[in-house]
Amino acid sequence: MIYSYIRPRKKSAVTPEVKLLFTFFGITLLMLFITYAFLLYKDYNFVNDLNLIAQKNAVVNQNLSEMKSQIEFIEKENVLAQKIQTKNSVLKDSITNLFDLVPQSITLSQAQLQKNALILHGLTPNKDVYSFMLQAPLRSIFHKTYSSFYPAGDGWLRFVSTNYTDEEATIKEEVIENEN
Amino acid sequence: MKINISRQYIYLMGVSILLFVFVLLFSFLVLIPEGKEYRENRGELKLKSNDLRKYQNLSDETEAKLKELQKKHRHVIVAFDTQFTPSRFKEQHKNNFSSLDISKAEIIEDTEGFVTYEVNTTSKISSPKSFYDFLDAINKSDWIIGVNFPIDFKRDGELINSSFTMKVYCNAKDKNATKKEEK
Repeated sequence: MIYSYIRPRKKSAVTPEVKLLFTFFGITLLMLFITYAFLLYKDYNFVNDLNLIAQKNAVVNQNLSEMKSQIEFIEKENVLAQKIQTKNSVLKDSITNLFDLVPQSITLSQAQLQKNALILHGLTPNKDVYSFMLQAPLRSIFHKTYSSFYPAGDGWLRFVSTNYTDEEATIKEEVIENEN
Repeated sequence: MKINISRQYIYLMGVSILLFVFVLLFSFLVLIPEGKEYRENRGELKLKSNDLRKYQNLSDETEAKLKELQKKHRHVIVAFDTQFTPSRFKEQHKNNFSSLDISKAEIIEDTEGFVTYEVNTTSKISSPKSFYDFLDAINKSDWIIGVNFPIDFKRDGELINSSFTMKVYCNAKDKNATKKEEK
């Protein structure tokens, strides 16, 4: 016996409302998980990048300190080289000045240059020539000057001139010059 | 008054509430802390990247300065690195002397990365000018050499006998090499 003229529809648990609800929540959940996955991936990348940066930093730091010590050493070498070259030049000037001091009439046979002393051996026609032309300029340079003479045989005199500088006095003079 | 709610709607409501609670819990307990960490990490990375860039810039500047110094003071650097060999020294400076004898180099000082050798020299020169030329030439030679007191000049006929000490300065790393060379 038929109670209706239409055929019965199949009833489903998934109604359009349920579909809509699940779609909405599905999208929401998907977005949440995608965001979470993105954050996890980014964090993982950050950690890797931080490690990489730390390694690079260590290498750069090491290179930097090596280069700095190299620069320091080169500067030290340069200062020392300059000091030595200046010392050589000063020595050359000192020797030049010393030989320029000796007048034509006096002949040197030996010159000993020491740190704080100068010993000269030579021949002079007489004491006066020696005193005025050599001893006087030497006295202006050195703090103590001693001379001794003995005859050379042909009327000339052999002399030994020993001259000393007082190191403390030289330092004081340099300080006064620098102050002026 | 009786409210008639079908069972299906009650299920739907339950599921909805459940999902809503899950979304809330997930957001507040997982997503927000993770986002916070992400933000902190991003800031830290930016900071470290800036630091690295600064260090790299500094490193580049230092490298440029080092290269400039190496270029400018090439002679000094090479001179300090060169082993002192008496035969080569004689060969280089023989023009300034009629004869030249050099003693064995002996270490007299070993400080602050430098080794100092002392060399005694006896020579014959024709005039003081030869000695001045030697002092000029020594500043341009292959080594860093300082002429030291005592210096002795003694007349010997037409020539002058001269004797003096020289200090040769080398880098400490060349100490063993110079010793081998002397042997």
